[in-house]
Amino acid sequence: MSDIEIVEDDVSLIVPIIDEAGSPKVRVRRRGRVTKWLAIGWLTFIVVSAIGANSLPYINHSCDQFESKLDCSTALNGSLKKIELPPTWAFFADPPKEPVGGGATHVGIMGTDRNGYDIFARAMLGARPSLTIAGLAITFGLAIATILGMIAGYFRGWVDVLIENITNVLLAFPALLLVIFCVTFFTDNTQSAASARPLWPIILALVIVSIPPLTRLVRANTISYAQRDFVVAARSLGAKGSRIMFKEILPNIVPALVSFALTGLALLIVAEGALAFLGLSVEAPTPTWGKMISAGTERLRNDVWWISLMPALTMFLTVLSINLLGDVLSQRFNTREAIA
Amino acid sequence: MNTRIQAATRQIDGPLLKVTDLRTHFRTERGLVRSVDGVSFSLDRGKALGIVGESGSGKTVLSRSIMGLLPSRNTERSGSVIFEGAEIIDRSLKERRKIWGREMSMIFQDPMTSLNPVMRVGKQISEGLSIHLGMDKQNARETALKLLYDVRIPEPEKRLDQYAFELSGGMRQRVMIAIALACGPTILFADEPTTALDVTVQAQILELIGDQRRDRNMSVILVTHDLGVVAGHTDEIAVMYGGKLVEKAPTRTLFANMKMPYTEALLRSIPNIEDPSHTRLNVITGRPPDLVNPPQGCRFSPRCEYVQPKCVTEEPPLLTAEHLDHVYACWYPVGSPVYREKRAQLDRQGSGATVGAV
Repeated sequence: MSDIEIVEDDVSLIVPIIDEAGSPKVRVRRRGRVTKWLAIGWLTFIVVSAIGANSLPYINHSCDQFESKLDCSTALNGSLKKIELPPTWAFFADPPKEPVGGGATHVGIMGTDRNGYDIFARAMLGARPSLTIAGLAITFGLAIATILGMIAGYFRGWVDVLIENITNVLLAFPALLLVIFCVTFFTDNTQSAASARPLWPIILALVIVSIPPLTRLVRANTISYAQRDFVVAARSLGAKGSRIMFKEILPNIVPALVSFALTGLALLIVAEGALAFLGLSVEAPTPTWGKMISAGTERLRNDVWWISLMPALTMFLTVLSINLLGDVLSQRFNTREAIA
Repeated sequence: MNTRIQAATRQIDGPLLKVTDLRTHFRTERGLVRSVDGVSFSLDRGKALGIVGESGSGKTVLSRSIMGLLPSRNTERSGSVIFEGAEIIDRSLKERRKIWGREMSMIFQDPMTSLNPVMRVGKQISEGLSIHLGMDKQNARETALKLLYDVRIPEPEKRLDQYAFELSGGMRQRVMIAIALACGPTILFADEPTTALDVTVQAQILELIGDQRRDRNMSVILVTHDLGVVAGHTDEIAVMYGGKLVEKAPTRTLFANMKMPYTEALLRSIPNIEDPSHTRLNVITGRPPDLVNPPQGCRFSPRCEYVQPKCVTEEPPLLTAEHLDHVYACWYPVGSPVYREKRAQLDRQGSGATVGAV
């Protein structure tokens, strides 16, 4: 059995290989395979680090990274000595203040912030609220949008008009105002600001914002499937509307839903960052990417670029990876559709 | 005009399906599309009826309208459909659903799109069994396997767990037939079941439908634009033109003794294998009628070779021929004096075929 290797330029042309006994094994090389694995790798890394931020060996919470314990102040001891140090690889950057006693001038892979906290550790810790908020928001948003979109797309008529008008109103309403309203309205301001602000108002806000576009996408997909012969065939066999929607149409639009979900997740991570930047996300001391970026901006003019840039880079890579993965998935599903 | 056809059918004892003056109109922005405009016929248990016509003649709409499968929005449906002695045209969706699958089922034109691409074949067959007949999973699966044997699919055990894209076109159509037959319907609507298939597979599928019809004493309504398809596989043929039934007769009678010039023209447009090469194909000039503004008089008159003044002004009723089960709608049917005169005149003009046809 010889191995035939086909190099395809256009991913959409690639045919899935049905491996039947006796047929030669055909290996198809897809373009973008490396980037796909890089994306998956980065996302795995982020998720694992976020979960184990308090215990993983490569995330520093103590002063072990410093040669002199005096130079360090961490979340653990809340020392008064606050010092910003650039990352170890940034040989070109100088700390704004020399560490007292001649300790290390470059620290960690992302440096330290004004409190002397390790930025990498905080970025991994900050992935928790960022990913939780975005993930929950897209899950609920997609669930609601799927139901609404499928009802609108399958039944059409007045339900469709009603749902379309609701989504239009929501789309026309400025998203940012809606979010600010939600967060301020549902947050109990009588409690002290420092106490943990609940996550759900901001999730709710993002769910509301994500429903209209997702509903439209689901509706469009549903309509294209609702007119296919196999749906008419199922009807001609006496299947009920609910059965057709969930058993016949839904499995067919799941691939599309997955790519919407990934794109939406990426957008919501950015949105959460923006809200945090405006001070509307979770309250201190919990770090989020948006808050970390926001906190570093005032130091930018002192040539302390790493405080903002490092969490921004983390967010950028995460969002990019999610988008890449979404592209890979949607291409793969399109390919299958072209064949089936 | 309908009393005549009713008189003709009343002699047969209790038809399984009796359609009377069925009209199905669609409201569109251009106006009312009269896709089915007063069609009447009846069908006995175990018999096969072929419905023949060009694209847009209303044959597909007719079959879906009988089943009640059309969307209710912007559709006007009137007339009577009596199935097993009961009127079903005014039934609610819920009541119709009980008939679908169990009493009437349908095979579609394109087996590539009529199977769900993400559901295993076995599941698609057994779904109806468990819903309509309340079978448990194991039972439904065994029945599905038996059905796949019945439709003569090679390696049926393997097919149960395959997806539609893993099957060939012919196999998919066999699966569709298995699904349609699953709950033992009394009428099977086959809407151009062979159009999307290879010629060699077409004959096999038609054989299969015919065999199943005999085995199950089921009636079949075979909708097609191909006279060759219906010739060998039906007991009766109904020819549709512009939403109307223009001729209906037992298959043999129709081919031997057609009355309607449209039927004649359809038959003549089939190329004959014994013709010398480069023989010009006989075509029917013009286009199918616009169903929003159908022509006055006989709807075929603008394209008819034998058209007379009366054809353009008065619509011919359905008349009964020598045999009571042969009806046609034409003022000057094939074989009448006026027809012969015109035919002779056309032959004298030389071509013998449609003049000016390109």
